[in-house]
Amino acid sequence: MYKNGLSYVTSCLFVLIAHCAMLALVLFNGNYTETKDVVTLAGVVISLDLVYFIVMLFYKQMTYSIDCMLLLILNMSLIFQSCFGGVELAKKHLITCIAALIACRLGYIICRNHTLIQTKKKYIFIINLIIILCILTLTGSRSIWIDLGFMTIQPSEFLKPAFILSCSTSIIEQQKKTKVLCFNVVKENIVLTGLIILIVGLQWWCRDLGSLPTFIAIYLCGLMFRFCYPKAKFSKKILVIIGVISAILIVLALKFAPSYVQDRLNVDIWNDKSGNGYQQSRALIAIAEGGWFGKGPGNGNLHNIAASDTDIVFSSICEEWGLLFALMMIIVILSMLILPLINPPRSYFHTTVTTGVCGAFIVQMALNIFGSCNMIPFTGVTIPFISQGGSSMVTSGFMIGMVIAGQSPVFKRHKRKRRSKGGAK
Amino acid sequence: MSTFNVMLSAIAIIMLDICVLVLIFSAYRERHTGKKRWSKIGGDMELVEPGKTYPLECDEIIIGRHASADIRLMDMSVSRYHALLTVCNGVWTIKDIGSKSGIYINGSRVKQARLCENDIIKLGKYKLTIRKRRNGNNV
Repeated sequence: MYKNGLSYVTSCLFVLIAHCAMLALVLFNGNYTETKDVVTLAGVVISLDLVYFIVMLFYKQMTYSIDCMLLLILNMSLIFQSCFGGVELAKKHLITCIAALIACRLGYIICRNHTLIQTKKKYIFIINLIIILCILTLTGSRSIWIDLGFMTIQPSEFLKPAFILSCSTSIIEQQKKTKVLCFNVVKENIVLTGLIILIVGLQWWCRDLGSLPTFIAIYLCGLMFRFCYPKAKFSKKILVIIGVISAILIVLALKFAPSYVQDRLNVDIWNDKSGNGYQQSRALIAIAEGGWFGKGPGNGNLHNIAASDTDIVFSSICEEWGLLFALMMIIVILSMLILPLINPPRSYFHTTVTTGVCGAFIVQMALNIFGSCNMIPFTGVTIPFISQGGSSMVTSGFMIGMVIAGQSPVFKRHKRKRRSKGGAK
Repeated sequence: MSTFNVMLSAIAIIMLDICVLVLIFSAYRERHTGKKRWSKIGGDMELVEPGKTYPLECDEIIIGRHASADIRLMDMSVSRYHALLTVCNGVWTIKDIGSKSGIYINGSRVKQARLCENDIIKLGKYKLTIRKRRNGNNV
């Protein structure tokens, strides 16, 4: 660990205090039958905090703020999920939280050395293709889930970090231009465009149109960095052309969308409260009933509705914890994404990775929250780290690990080998 | 909802708020400490041309004529994006990123080379020396 001890301990202490304040609220205001349930929840949350604080010490990182922010949001989500409909430790969510933390460390280790990843770029494209093949062959007929019996996996979630790594690029890569007809093009960019077309086709076929905006956001982030290469070199003409093409594609996509999408686009939730507008109308009523400070942890009614802990989790939190808590949750996630602006990524490659991750998270959050508030059609996309779901949590953890990797260099004791005379290469 | 419960909720929200602010403040402190640490990781090196010094405080540094290059050398003999300096484990490497006039290290032309202290890098008409940082040097 770097000589940042005091700052590290202070950060950890405040995370712990914030969780204790939430647990105190559960204790005094929660809906539980036995105090044992609250004590168990408190024990698990505090233990997870302490264990992760100790584990982090073994990683020689330059910054720890994102780790602390991650732990803050993960344990917040564990408390939220354990309180829906009555206080009881959400064991499944606890396991996925731990898996997310492990995935975060894995993402950090894998993405730390950007030169190594750049040399293995073709394998990343192969991984993308393997995941696409898995979706095509292992999921059911036009489905997005792989059923293993004891658990289900959503392979399209695992495609997100792989696609972000494919979209990330380095200055060296952007210099490798080849002449096709009369254009100087970068091969990698053409392969990437082919990949996004493949993913769009796949998502359309699987009827998982909710995830489509996330992939397009990741691709556009990567594309923007290629046009603004190496930095702040905007080509307004190209950006305008891309904007116009995107608008035409969106209009065409909406026009020719499948019937179930058209239903969601045209539904009047208050006139169709028992049909297509059921979830959204109940979600809006729950937000209104919650008010600023909520009904109290475990006192909500929304847990009876399908997907209350995943797709409409924002409304569930609003109902039980209040709008202020729900807004705080959004602020914590956004702050985690803002931190790379304070400690900028150390290379062009890591900058593109960080932008891709931020783009994906912001789009996912926007789709979920605006969908719950009936501002856009309901998409069924999860809020990173808050909604229940193993695949989503693990990939979100991995993606945050990729962001953390951008801030800490590959650190080894400095050894300078004297080059032999004339051996410049 | 009783006043006590509202107060408890408000306290919990304020504590979360404070926690987020503390973490953002910590990030600023880490940035300050990070700058010092970077120079150590980069082997405390800097690039020098007569009358000018460029500290090497980043993982990737672009040298070129273009306004967006990190080290800008304003001469037509230098390409817009001429060379890229990278550091790994304290060892600096220079790479030619498609320049016209090439890179010369101690007189011999290279595409890519590891740099040692006091190596002379020739980019176009410019001659830059890589050396250990000396106190009080500025760009």
